[in-house]
Amino acid sequence: MALVLPFAVPAIITLLIWALPGSPVSIICPGCDGAEGLAARWNLDQGMVHFYTTWMGGALHGDFGNSWRVVQGVPIAELLGPAVPVTVTLILLAMVPLLLASAVAGLGWIPRQLDPLFQAIGLIPAMLPALVVYAVISLRFGATMADGPESLTAKLLWGAIILGIADGALSGAIVGTRSLFDNERKQQYVLVAQLRGEGVLSNTLPNVAGALVGQIRGRMLHLLSGAVIVEAVLRIDGLGDYLWRATLMQDFGLVLAAATGFALVSGSILMLQALLEVAVAWHQRRSPVVPVGGVA
Amino acid sequence: MPRNVAILFTIISLGVLVVLAFHSPERWTVMAEAESYASPFELPPFGADSRGRPLTDYAMQGAHIVALPAVVAGLLVTFLGIVGGLVRCMGSARVESIVAGLREVVGALPRMVVILVVAILMPLEWRSLMGLAVVWALLAAPGAMDEAAAVAGRLGGARFVEALRAHGFSRVRIYLYHVVALNLRPVVVRQGAETLMQVVFLEVALSFLALAAGEPSFTHNEATTKSWADLLYQGYQFIAMDVPSGHALVLGLLLVAVTAVAAVSISSAARAR
Amino acid sequence: MGRSRHLLVAAGISAAMLSTGAALTYYEGALPTTLNPLYAAKMVDYRAQELVFDRLWYHSPINNELESRLVQGWELTDGGKGIKLELASGIKWHDGKPFTANDICFTVKSMLDTGTPSPIAEGYRDILAGCTEESRSTAIVHFTRIVHNPRERLGFSVLPEHAFDGNTAISPDLEFSARPTGTGPMKGSRGTRGVTFQAFANGHHAPNIPQMQLQESGDPLLAIKALINNSVQGIIEVAPNFRADVSASDELALKSYDLRSWWFVAINSKKAPLDDRRVRQALNFMLDRTELREKSIGVKPGERNSPCEFISGPFVPSSPYYNRSVPAVERSDQGQAEALLTEAGMEKVGGRWQFKGQPVSFRMGMEKSLDNEAPDILSYISNQFEAAGIGSQVYKIPPDKWTTEAITGHLTDYDLLVGKWSFGQVEDVNELFYTRSRGKGTRNIFNYSEQEVDRLLAQYDVAKTDTAARDAYHKLHRKLAEDLPYLFLWKLDTKSAWRTEVKSNTIAPYYYFTQFDSWRYEG
Repeated sequence: MALVLPFAVPAIITLLIWALPGSPVSIICPGCDGAEGLAARWNLDQGMVHFYTTWMGGALHGDFGNSWRVVQGVPIAELLGPAVPVTVTLILLAMVPLLLASAVAGLGWIPRQLDPLFQAIGLIPAMLPALVVYAVISLRFGATMADGPESLTAKLLWGAIILGIADGALSGAIVGTRSLFDNERKQQYVLVAQLRGEGVLSNTLPNVAGALVGQIRGRMLHLLSGAVIVEAVLRIDGLGDYLWRATLMQDFGLVLAAATGFALVSGSILMLQALLEVAVAWHQRRSPVVPVGGVA
Repeated sequence: MPRNVAILFTIISLGVLVVLAFHSPERWTVMAEAESYASPFELPPFGADSRGRPLTDYAMQGAHIVALPAVVAGLLVTFLGIVGGLVRCMGSARVESIVAGLREVVGALPRMVVILVVAILMPLEWRSLMGLAVVWALLAAPGAMDEAAAVAGRLGGARFVEALRAHGFSRVRIYLYHVVALNLRPVVVRQGAETLMQVVFLEVALSFLALAAGEPSFTHNEATTKSWADLLYQGYQFIAMDVPSGHALVLGLLLVAVTAVAAVSISSAARAR
Repeated sequence: MGRSRHLLVAAGISAAMLSTGAALTYYEGALPTTLNPLYAAKMVDYRAQELVFDRLWYHSPINNELESRLVQGWELTDGGKGIKLELASGIKWHDGKPFTANDICFTVKSMLDTGTPSPIAEGYRDILAGCTEESRSTAIVHFTRIVHNPRERLGFSVLPEHAFDGNTAISPDLEFSARPTGTGPMKGSRGTRGVTFQAFANGHHAPNIPQMQLQESGDPLLAIKALINNSVQGIIEVAPNFRADVSASDELALKSYDLRSWWFVAINSKKAPLDDRRVRQALNFMLDRTELREKSIGVKPGERNSPCEFISGPFVPSSPYYNRSVPAVERSDQGQAEALLTEAGMEKVGGRWQFKGQPVSFRMGMEKSLDNEAPDILSYISNQFEAAGIGSQVYKIPPDKWTTEAITGHLTDYDLLVGKWSFGQVEDVNELFYTRSRGKGTRNIFNYSEQEVDRLLAQYDVAKTDTAARDAYHKLHRKLAEDLPYLFLWKLDTKSAWRTEVKSNTIAPYYYFTQFDSWRYEG
């Protein structure tokens, strides 16, 4: 599936953007001579299959063409090359509070009574703190720095915090992980292990690892989705922001390239999950089997 | 949360949203009723915006925008979750693998991308949250189906059904009562309630993005309707730029909280005994 | 002489860099889509390109005379169907290559090449016939016919032939659109979040500001706060409701930016009942412009030095084309409106007007960005029509849809569209009202067509003197005020805000930065 995604996602996106009203050619050259030539240059004149296959052919050679409207004339590869690591960094940084909170919740160190507090914090829509952060950066550091590379670190850190906490991300991680471990702790083998003086975590972790990895993957995908909003508001030049601007401005080449970037990141997460599951399964296979009914 | 309390909170919170939505004015008020940024004391119950217009209109119109689409999306996810669980119980490997494949592809699609494209697709005159909410529900459904299938799997799947059949129960009763009502209910209702809440958040996010980009709103006709995002936008101005619109922020967060309480209460009310 | 001037200019720039060291940053409402002058579509594009390129001829913002930095002499040839241009010496492109007659001819040929899908180029194809390079510093531009104002017709920016390898079919997605080469005072480069301009020492420009940044403002309130905090040094367009904040600060100055903008409500005269002139005139009397202006822009009746003046035709009151004998309708006159509607065969039932037994309701739209300058104006207009007994559904239209559909005459399912036109010093309204056909009426919103109007527009086109042109447009003004393809609202002054550290910042009408050489920044 991870190998299929970078082909399937652009295909689906092509289907969707082909249905957009109007055309990018008519935005630049409304009803004027030369529109047909421009449509031919941009492969818009022979249907969406031709457009998709031509684009994919170029993409496989690393040629995504030039941006039509977002940053007109600049090669898309030049735009997205730095954007992928920016988005990946944002997601990984956003995972830090989630992983920490999950670990702490899994260990049982976060009492249930605090859940309403986390859920209340999770009520805050990501847009609101993102707008505030951008305004503060603009006012304090100036417009040039606010949109320049100097403020990227600050925006990434703040963006990661917002992404990791708002929209129920943190509360979901805490509650989800805790319930996973709580259910596992009720299993008989855990009680047996405790009687034998063994650690609960060392026994439960390998068994919940698969589900945990699935949860983590789900959270990362959720963050990937939310990254579009955070990047757009904080004006971070990441995949999400390019996707948003390109869709709005019907810059088809950039939409497809950014969506493919997303699919690649998503596919990588899927591969990672598969590798971890294999590792867990291998570990479980090597572990001694506890006979049913207790210790002999 | 005790079940009775959950049911009570559900009724109150949903009731507030329904009442607000029901009384929503059809068109946006442009006439000032008070001074600019009047407080709730000067213009009860919620005060006024920068042009002296009551914030109550924002609350009511915003509820009108989100109420029905959020409920429809929640119901759709619940229904699809049930389908996911029942498919596992049927024990058809072929159907399961098709569903699993679709789940992976849909689950890997960046949701906001699909939503944005669909949002921009809609002709101006048709712009509403309903279409987007349905798309969101379809994108969220794989997760719900997965979880419901896992619950059905833990029951024993097809073997569970066969065991109950051996006790003389009909298939319909087994599927609807034993599987769905007794076992899948907490999971699918929780997923539906979360989707309901997510659709409200989605509306706020999309309206904010449209505001920031200078585009007309994707979820409603902003020439005649205001949304909760407009309240929160005024709240952002209060925090970042000392504009005296703190009461708009409070109202906006309160409305979002009511939605969250509704979602949590629904989940709690539906949980297994 | 040329070399010593270069040295002086370079020294001046070096001194400026040493004394200031800081980049001057300013806000625009949006980033330019392109820095290629052939594809300018929005005002921000024109303004940014004015820093990077030189137009062959331009109107001086100081004395309104036609001037050129690229041409030192000219004469008409071929009985007036050609103009011979003697180029100024010592001018270089931003990559150091010399500016020659070949570049002018290349630009003309690119505009005539149908492989250049540019609406701007298309506008020139009707008037330009070709170009001949007589020598390295002499070019002859040929016209399709004799024109009374040949230099006015050569207001295009010149492009470098060597940047395109001589290929005259120029596509919008070339790298030139982001990293252009011009002869203007600044070398521009479009990034993902803004445009950076670097001063370029040249024979004909001596900019004092070594570096500039153009950024997108986003929230207008945030932009004002940033200006007050000195996070930026200028805002190109300040909405009326924020001007008081700027005026209140001693560190900021509000400056006029002559955009010759006027607002209108276009009427779809192809759809019943609006195809009846009496109905259009009735709508004209239903609108209370004074109340609209007060509620949406905040200008009270009788206010002195108002930035917003009512108009009765398609020109600003200060224009020589404005016909002062045609009065503007400032207040509503419901009696007149009712009489006209009754005469047109409509009847009022239960407070609502009906046409052929059906309640009258209009679909009304407005370009979304106008809401920043006149908040809720669409709702106020709708309310006034509702109060007068006519229903409406209102929509805000995204900027791209406005460009691709409204202006091109495709939004025919709308009845009324609220918009704004802006002009340079040459207020040529022909494209707004000509019957739409190949090359004519390219901005005729609802495909309005009226023979008498076409005749007057053609009269303007062939006018050989300014007086003849003015007469044609005076008659046009009167005709349009009667026929009402538009309800003419008002002209609204545009104001920029700059910090007082920015000195001698003369703002040219429309193009803004024409006199950028005189600007100084002491920040």
